[in-house]
Amino acid sequence: MKTSTAVSRLMGTPGLPMTIILIVAVIVFQLLNPIFLTPGALSSYLTNAMPILLLTLGSAIVIIGGGIDLSVGTVAGLSAGTTMWALVAGAPLWVGILVGCVTGLGFGLLNGILVAVFRINDFIATLATLNIAAGLLVVLSQATLLQGVTDEGFAALTRGDVFGIPISFVVAAGIFVLAHLLISKTVTGRRMYAIGISAEAANVAGVSVARSRMFTFVISGLLAGVAGVFLASRLGAVQAFLGIGYEFTAIAGAVVGGIALAGGAGSVWAALIGGLFLATVQQGLRLNNVDPVYFSIVTALAIVFGVIFDRQVRRVLLRGALARTAAALVDRDASSAPASAGRESKEEVR
Amino acid sequence: MSDRHSGRMNGHAIVHRILIDPTLGVLALLVIFAVGAAILLPVFYAGNNLLNLVGSSITVMILAIGVTVVLISGGIDLSVGAVMALSAGAAATSMRLGLPVFAAFGAAILVGILAGVVNGLLVTRVGLPDFIATLATLGFASGVLYIWTQGVPIIGYMTPEFRLVGGLQPVFGQVTLPMIIALALALIVGWVLSSTSLGTRYFAVGSNPVAARQSGIRVRWVKTQAYMLSGTCAAIAGIILAGRNNNVPADLGTGYEIQAISAAIIGGASLMGGRGRVLGAVLGAITLALAINIINLVGVPSSFQKIVIGAILLLAVFANFVSDRVRSAALRRRATHFSSNVA
Amino acid sequence: MADDPNLPSADVVPVLEARGVTKHYDGVTALDDAHLSVQRGEIHALLGGNGAGKSTLIGIISGANKADLGTILLDGEPITAAGPQATILAGVSTIYQELSLVPALSALDNIFLGRELHRRVLGISVVSDRRRMEETVRELASDFGIASHELHTPVSEFGALKKRSIEIVKALAFDPKVLILDEPTSGLEDAERVSLFEYMRTLRERNVGLVWVTHHLEELVGLADRATIFRDGRNAGTVEVANTSIDQFLTYMFGDQRDEFGAGDTRHLNRLTPLDDAPIVLSARGLNRGSVVRDVSFDVHEGEVIGLAGLAGAGRTEVVRTLMGLDRLTSGTIEVDGRRITPRSSTAAYRAGLAMLPEDRKQLGILADLSIAANISLSRLRTVTWARFWVSARRERALAERYRTRLGIKTPTVTARIGNLSGGNQQKAIVARCLNTSPRLLIFDEPTQGIDVSAKVDVHALIRHHAADGGAAILIASELEELLELSHRVLVLKKGRIVGEIRDIPKSIAAGHFAEIKSKVLALSAAGSAA
Repeated sequence: MKTSTAVSRLMGTPGLPMTIILIVAVIVFQLLNPIFLTPGALSSYLTNAMPILLLTLGSAIVIIGGGIDLSVGTVAGLSAGTTMWALVAGAPLWVGILVGCVTGLGFGLLNGILVAVFRINDFIATLATLNIAAGLLVVLSQATLLQGVTDEGFAALTRGDVFGIPISFVVAAGIFVLAHLLISKTVTGRRMYAIGISAEAANVAGVSVARSRMFTFVISGLLAGVAGVFLASRLGAVQAFLGIGYEFTAIAGAVVGGIALAGGAGSVWAALIGGLFLATVQQGLRLNNVDPVYFSIVTALAIVFGVIFDRQVRRVLLRGALARTAAALVDRDASSAPASAGRESKEEVR
Repeated sequence: MSDRHSGRMNGHAIVHRILIDPTLGVLALLVIFAVGAAILLPVFYAGNNLLNLVGSSITVMILAIGVTVVLISGGIDLSVGAVMALSAGAAATSMRLGLPVFAAFGAAILVGILAGVVNGLLVTRVGLPDFIATLATLGFASGVLYIWTQGVPIIGYMTPEFRLVGGLQPVFGQVTLPMIIALALALIVGWVLSSTSLGTRYFAVGSNPVAARQSGIRVRWVKTQAYMLSGTCAAIAGIILAGRNNNVPADLGTGYEIQAISAAIIGGASLMGGRGRVLGAVLGAITLALAINIINLVGVPSSFQKIVIGAILLLAVFANFVSDRVRSAALRRRATHFSSNVA
Repeated sequence: MADDPNLPSADVVPVLEARGVTKHYDGVTALDDAHLSVQRGEIHALLGGNGAGKSTLIGIISGANKADLGTILLDGEPITAAGPQATILAGVSTIYQELSLVPALSALDNIFLGRELHRRVLGISVVSDRRRMEETVRELASDFGIASHELHTPVSEFGALKKRSIEIVKALAFDPKVLILDEPTSGLEDAERVSLFEYMRTLRERNVGLVWVTHHLEELVGLADRATIFRDGRNAGTVEVANTSIDQFLTYMFGDQRDEFGAGDTRHLNRLTPLDDAPIVLSARGLNRGSVVRDVSFDVHEGEVIGLAGLAGAGRTEVVRTLMGLDRLTSGTIEVDGRRITPRSSTAAYRAGLAMLPEDRKQLGILADLSIAANISLSRLRTVTWARFWVSARRERALAERYRTRLGIKTPTVTARIGNLSGGNQQKAIVARCLNTSPRLLIFDEPTQGIDVSAKVDVHALIRHHAADGGAAILIASELEELLELSHRVLVLKKGRIVGEIRDIPKSIAAGHFAEIKSKVLALSAAGSAA
């Protein structure tokens, strides 16, 4: 029985196999180029990785709740733009940051309303808001020059440090810890998993599906807003096309971390590992002077192989666990093959 | 399938029909747009504006035809834009290498089919969700084109044949080759969907894959075929765009996927599978081009284009939602009527 | 089964034969060394309780599933090619229990799906020849009430009855050697039922072998030739229908457990005392939802179990779904303990004191990937939280442990994934979830479907206890015996309406006029004439 618990624990953290791969990747890049693990490179690595980690986290939360959010990238871009716009216009730093966060929150709310209230397919709804956010940034960037913020504090968001630890790292760590507590320890998080596994069954059990679904999109939007603020701070200037394609990396990060797109499974840890893996690959390619365009190919491959790898590992684990449970239970029941059997036959149908 | 209700239709029924028949809905939208534009904007019918409009909608139209078939079979194809660009790159590069023009076209089509096979395998064998699989193909295809071109647009491949294919030179009168190709493609795919068993199977697989499997249909293969068809359409669009554009930049296909999907959905295709029409996709593409044309004529900066496309997509989905409601309410009424007759 | 006197002589090659078929689902044995032998020109009934393995065997014969062991022979030759297509082409057609039509396609396209008739155009035959298809099935279709023009209507526009007919036409259209009918009469009107039976006879005359799965034993008489009965995934016997009484069938199907089932736990259930004077818990008046629920009014009293009877599609589940706020009412009022409620959502319904054990445990009941404890606490999470927000794992476990003991949920640990439990234990956990909200009215929708006999007995006891403790309950069960066994009153529904009420149900299944009441319910649900 001990092994069975250990196995189910292992399954509870689907990112674990991926963690090993992440460590291997770090070692490989370190061997290829010893600069990789120097403090300077690490610090810039974390600052670069932070926005994409936040977007990955947002995507992961929506995916766990059984949805998908394609708009995170361009919403982050737009939030960077609005922050910049407010600061260029002379607003105090906190107002600028607030404007960026509210932009993200607003789009999260819009997505949530479209999906949860009007029941528009989440994929299409967020594809539409992706374009709307991208379009708004183009309009905004043509109306104002989105650069030249004089407030020192703004740049310090990404360049400054607290006791030697970069501020962006502190913020990211704080957000990840909060997110972890939220989705694994609270009523809200529990309901999110429930609707992700089966919205219908959760509804029968008394869970308000619309409210939980709305919540996942709002969180994702807010995270995109925060990511946008940090993007703006790091770049110092916001281009019209900022954020396009980031959703790809974000979703890929979640998938590579082992978060099943079917919903209802996954953890903050998995999102972190998946996001870090892609960020590591990006940094490794950069340090080895590989053209950044290879990154999109690597990401595409990472998605495909991440899914295959994760499923194979889990299938092996699941089979072991099932055999043990079946042996432990004397109770025999012919027609009630465990739900996983049904799931497999669904796969066959594809 | 559409002639069975003909005749004896009163006004109420016609209004109702427009609400529930997606193709009529988009046609109505198109007419409203066109009439509104004609009244408000005298330039609308001036000179070559209309022909330009149709010409500019051709690429999206061809992509939308492929996307419609994929949607009918229960999938979604986000890679069409990137695959289109890659195919255009393949055609252009082949020409530069001195291959005959038909070999160049063949290479482009091969790239499209190959992309379709990859999408199909990722979805049916690897088991990725459709949009993730095609998103991966998008990333892969655009990455490959970027590396291939090193960020410098491919130029110097134009020949008279390419000008013809790109529609820069009309075939006769004002009619260009892309128009003929699009028309032929629409007719062929429309015919396949409505009159062949192949078409029936796309609908079956998208509408109820379990039942399709029980009826002995090879669901995976049919889905893969749909992606191959979409890839082929993307390749054809790519050849035309390469001819029209005079050069192939690495980001040629960016943003085309949303236009194609929007056109298909405006035309009545459903993300739930089992629904969609080629005629709808064609009209949807024209409607989209018309909307963009109108905002250009009104003087709205082109930077608003994306916002408008996003808004139209939302409107289209919302309209589908409403028409579904109307439709199911009508069915329920009919059922009540029927059973109270019996009782 | 060496003692079976009715096996056909060895020299007649059966048209369909299953030999030693064994099938496991992730460690659970669904079929164990199953045999079936069907002759040409025979109607062979396949009987057994829920979970006996009938559906699994049919899945294997039709090529939808693979057996772990054993062979299927057609005309004495093993079927080697795998898959549904090969099986259909070999001459085995199946009418599935659940509708397997494609909503987007017309009736005609559905009938010919995968077997389209083609017209040759330019030397290739890909063009569907719809006119020839129509001609081929027009007569057959009209026998089942499908007019020619309806053949071209999308299936999504038909009701359940017509869909069933289309399915039957689809299976009959290709002159199969073997036709498998999995509960073909569910949802059919009497006339259509008769028409189907007539067709089955015709097919028998044409030397087709028919495999007929049914729960309605009374249908067998005069129609089926032989019957093979399954129990717990094993053969319980093969008999001549003409020489076997219904009682004998029941013994084959349920064995000794039948006594256990029949004896019942009547301590807490005194049905001879009318409960009409007890306080009313739920009062429903004039409930309407489109055409599926029509003018439904009833009361449920304290301590009372109300049974809902009716054929598939009669609107039983639809009625309770509107009570639970899962489907919107178009009109009608609901009162709980005299307070008017408007369940706009399931959350509101739970708050008002209703709870539901849904049908289809796998899809609507369990959340397979969550732990048993999380499944139980979900309906009322705040009882295991700090400040109504932080879920306390310790309190959640404690809650689950309480129910584990009380309901006898068999599991090594309550933190195990619920999907790995057996059906009966899953069902108990869902009952626990309902009880955790201390409901005034508990709705049981097919509570014992697909669970084993011992769990069934436990679930029955739970229903009785709930009523005995002063709760009210609504019970939906397809097995009439079960429904009559547990209910104080039974309401019979047909086409969304209440068409009759059965009172004064005898104490036990063994009592004399039980069969009489049963046939009364059947008559009501089928014909719908006034009670």
